Amino acid sequence: MSTRNTPVRWVRENLFSSVGNSAQTVVFSLIILGLLRWLLGQAFAEESNWESVATNLRLLMAYNYPTGQFVRIWVSAGALFFAVGLSFATWNVRPMIGFRRLLTTLVGFGCFALICGLVTPGTTPSVVRTSMFAIGGVLVVGGLAAGRLVPRAGERNVGFGRLLVAVSGLAMAVVWLVPFGKHSFIDGAIAVERGVTIASSTKMPWTVLFAVLVSTFFAGRAIAVRIRKQLKIALIAWWVVGPAFVLFLVLRDPAFDWSRIWSVDVPIAAAFALGGGAVLYVLARPGREDLARVVGALLVGFALLHWVAGFAGWYGMLQKVRISFVLLAIAVLLVPTFAGERRARLRLSGGWIGLMVVLHWLITAINTPSTLVISAPPFIGGLVLTITIAYYVMLASFPLGVLLSLARTSKLPIFRVLSTGFVEVVRGVPLITVLFFFSIMLPLFLPRGMGISDLAAVFTGYTLFSAAYMAENLRGGLQSVRRGQFDASDALGLTTVQRTVFITLPQALRVAIPNLVGQAIATFKETSLIAIVGGFDILRIANSTIPNQPDFLGQKRPALLFVALVYFVFTYSMSKSAQSLEKKLEAGRVR
Amino acid sequence: MSIADQSLTTELASRNDVIVCRGVKKWFGDFQALRGVDLTVKDREVLVVLGPSGSGKSTLIRCINRLEAHQEGSIVVDGVELTNDLRNIEKIRSEVGMVFQQFNLFPHLTVLDNITLAPVWVRKKPKADALAKAMELLERVGIPEQAAKFPGQLSGGQQQRVAIARALAMEPKIMLFDEPTSALDPEMIKEVLDVMKELANSGMTMIVVTHEMGFAREVADRLVFMESGEIVEVGTPDQFFSAPREERTKKFLSQIL
Repeated sequence: MSTRNTPVRWVRENLFSSVGNSAQTVVFSLIILGLLRWLLGQAFAEESNWESVATNLRLLMAYNYPTGQFVRIWVSAGALFFAVGLSFATWNVRPMIGFRRLLTTLVGFGCFALICGLVTPGTTPSVVRTSMFAIGGVLVVGGLAAGRLVPRAGERNVGFGRLLVAVSGLAMAVVWLVPFGKHSFIDGAIAVERGVTIASSTKMPWTVLFAVLVSTFFAGRAIAVRIRKQLKIALIAWWVVGPAFVLFLVLRDPAFDWSRIWSVDVPIAAAFALGGGAVLYVLARPGREDLARVVGALLVGFALLHWVAGFAGWYGMLQKVRISFVLLAIAVLLVPTFAGERRARLRLSGGWIGLMVVLHWLITAINTPSTLVISAPPFIGGLVLTITIAYYVMLASFPLGVLLSLARTSKLPIFRVLSTGFVEVVRGVPLITVLFFFSIMLPLFLPRGMGISDLAAVFTGYTLFSAAYMAENLRGGLQSVRRGQFDASDALGLTTVQRTVFITLPQALRVAIPNLVGQAIATFKETSLIAIVGGFDILRIANSTIPNQPDFLGQKRPALLFVALVYFVFTYSMSKSAQSLEKKLEAGRVR
Repeated sequence: MSIADQSLTTELASRNDVIVCRGVKKWFGDFQALRGVDLTVKDREVLVVLGPSGSGKSTLIRCINRLEAHQEGSIVVDGVELTNDLRNIEKIRSEVGMVFQQFNLFPHLTVLDNITLAPVWVRKKPKADALAKAMELLERVGIPEQAAKFPGQLSGGQQQRVAIARALAMEPKIMLFDEPTSALDPEMIKEVLDVMKELANSGMTMIVVTHEMGFAREVADRLVFMESGEIVEVGTPDQFFSAPREERTKKFLSQIL
């Protein structure tokens, strides 16, 4: 197009290009406006008491977590914000955003607020309507004026750091200045103080959190200039194990028996870490591949023996010792693939020691009883439960899904049949069935003396379920890898494992991203099914706990709308970040 | 003595055998792609394989590094016979470099990572050495400035030169070229052929499947003409182009020249 693309022109060409097109535009606009009016009417109807949400925010976020221990929740959130700030800086997500584009987005939001104000039905409280007009007016006028007044607005960019500061600042200003009122719900008694800003026990932690976010972002950006690679590895490690540490060490507050830890747990962990590390270091020397294979095969037999012995009751052994032997066997079998000179060997041993330390610490923490006094297990609920389960199910089902998809595309028939059977059976069963099976039936099948907590049962079942779907999504990606890539890797002498890890999987993942994100979103939303097997996730609290409180009897609507909004914010940001990830990977795509 | 060996000049005949194929037969289902191929390749020899499409040229060189398994006969590469033994296959593959018609670079890795991947993980070379070697090879093929780019950002000729550098990074004794210029635009063919000529002059043992007659005439020590899965004629370039013995060779040459 030769001339500039003006909004009027765009509207004429896309919305009113012909009679049919114009009719469609009008009809669908009316339908959308009608729906919006209905929704706003529902949300702000007189019988909708939004105080039910405001007073129960604590319940919705963390369920019955003891109020006195709430500082643990804030510390956990702080750890998350810390890592988020560093991650933003390290991966340099969207370094620049066009100023013009930013203004367009703001004006768009403003227009939406104005339209909402216009279509709200008369039953809506006037304060809601006024604030909609006010917000919309400020955004539209401010956005248009900035576009005119700022010189060369079209060429300017806004850095991500400034945007982060602006958004955090705005959020804090709203929290500190707008008189939402103080709502508290202590020991079943509701206290509401109107005309003031929210309680400082909420304001202060949020302010600190945003300060942490912004400062770690800038600190991270300064550090990342020099050690970006190391920072990336550290952050990836943190994102894998960090949340589990937060969950089991901070939120759960285990009552450690230190004498037992020093006499039993630490020696076992040290023996595995150092002994295994030394074995790997010795075997990883180029030329010792055959020895490594023999040792690996022996270790596999040794590890299997312990499991058989455990189930048959021949001799007892700590579960973590069994798990460690299995991991050591796998590591030794992988040694020939990743062997190399001194640095590669040190990396291999170092990785193993890190894995052992983290694993043994976590298992010890999980097995130690909690000191929290909570009316009903599990020790987490609300949004914390939703996020935790969703996050760890995604994380754990990923490697499992990779293995299943590789097995299903393998040349060996036994793997193919097993994997296909598993995937088809799991996909043929509803998630609820899987959750029921794992929370109610599984404990009956376990050998005597072996238990599984509700949370662990749900997590295991959901992970297996999710892994089956992930395997299918990945299989699509694996099939899209071109024949020539296999030829090239084979011609270079890469082994099958090396080819899979370095060539096939990375390419398959790129292709599978849209499907995997779709699945991640589904996983996040379907955590609400945990309610059926006894968990108190955010949806169950909104749907059945709040409407049963004496002050808010039957008040479902506001809380449900609020939960819908929470789900939307999470899933929308997931799909948005996946889009930018795809754009970033574009450079390495097959042309 | 098979026809493939009669053509050896005395100088060539005195060198070591690097590749020895004896009665190699290969079927794809019912279709027989190779009908008993006998061929000896000498150390530092450049052998060009010609023939119409479907004549088994590519299948033959793909059998030499076991991308395809032959079903009858024997192939001995650098003293090691190709069998189903995985260790022999891995050994031979790291001694034999291969360049493909479609380049087959790894699209998700940068040029440098493409070149250093196999030396680091297969040869177990320290990363720094592998990087230095990769830069040296990129200089040699004339594109050091492209080191940090992704294959998708390069032209076809540049991609093929990276593919050659990638194969050379393993320090192979033998290089196989499977129609390296057939997927290139005409103006990029020369840059790739120049690299191959330089490689031939440096004493690399090469088997080249190609349709580039100029290259064959100028660089090849011997030419092999294949049709329907068998070797029809072998000769030096002069003898091959000026006085072909076989009727089928004459017909092929009259079609392409």
